[in-house]
Amino acid sequence: MIRKPFSENFGLCHNGHLHSWSDLMSRRQFARTATSIAAAGAAFGLGLPKAAASAPGDPVPIPGAEPLLGGIFHVFGPTPDNSFSPVDAEPATITNLNGFVGLAYIDGTVQRTNRRTGQTVMLPMIGADMRFMSGVYRGADERIREGAFAFV
Amino acid sequence: MDVYDPGTGSQLHDLNPSDYHPTGLFWTTEIPQSNVQVQVGNGYASVVATNLPIFDYGEFSNALFGGAPRTPGVISYRVVWSGVQQRVTIRNTDPVYGGFAGRFVRNSAQMEWTAVTDDYMFVSAPLATTKSEFAELGEERNGRFFP
Repeated sequence: MIRKPFSENFGLCHNGHLHSWSDLMSRRQFARTATSIAAAGAAFGLGLPKAAASAPGDPVPIPGAEPLLGGIFHVFGPTPDNSFSPVDAEPATITNLNGFVGLAYIDGTVQRTNRRTGQTVMLPMIGADMRFMSGVYRGADERIREGAFAFV
Repeated sequence: MDVYDPGTGSQLHDLNPSDYHPTGLFWTTEIPQSNVQVQVGNGYASVVATNLPIFDYGEFSNALFGGAPRTPGVISYRVVWSGVQQRVTIRNTDPVYGGFAGRFVRNSAQMEWTAVTDDYMFVSAPLATTKSEFAELGEERNGRFFP
């Protein structure tokens, strides 16, 4: 999202070339789909999931939540064309942070091997949303700590 | 990590570290601080993670709301940010998207990774074969440290 909502699916052109999902479905359309999923989850009580209890030293999620995902998930997906979150939206997922942050949406390929049959296939990895946060943070117990966190 | 069927465009794998619905910390997990190297000035950062526990939720909607099985596994990866395409200073006070300030470099990033779940083993193509749609890194302050 975010890697996912941003995740642009692949389709095959008639000439066999892979092209990005953006030709088939815009990110905004995808975001609308994600919003529908969020709304459906809310309507049917599917998701609306409780967060796991946090340990005292755990970081605290950012207070904001992407409206396009129903406003319940504490994450934004800055995009240069503002098609999901605005490009200057918060890239971190933890709050009370004074440190370094990195974000990237990465495309590539991966070889998948079925561990039972040994069958292998090359598949596209699209818009993998990879982030890090490293530095000083105030945990859920209000204590100041140093640490690093990965968003996968 | 999102992996797709190249023919149908359907998502096949959605690997992330949350073992619960991500309404708290979103797909965020602790790693050793020594695994993160950052030089914001020249746009460089490297993050290494080894054998992080993850689940394969299959699809994005299942990763958010559940309802279908998930498969446990582990992932290892290296992500490298490099270059400087743009330098930006942000002080974002927007009530939804903001609450932070920082100096950022917008650049590019590449990664390589492996993962093993109960059903599959994944080995990505080399880091040099990957490309980013968007990448940024920087120093920021948010929450109690903002402004």
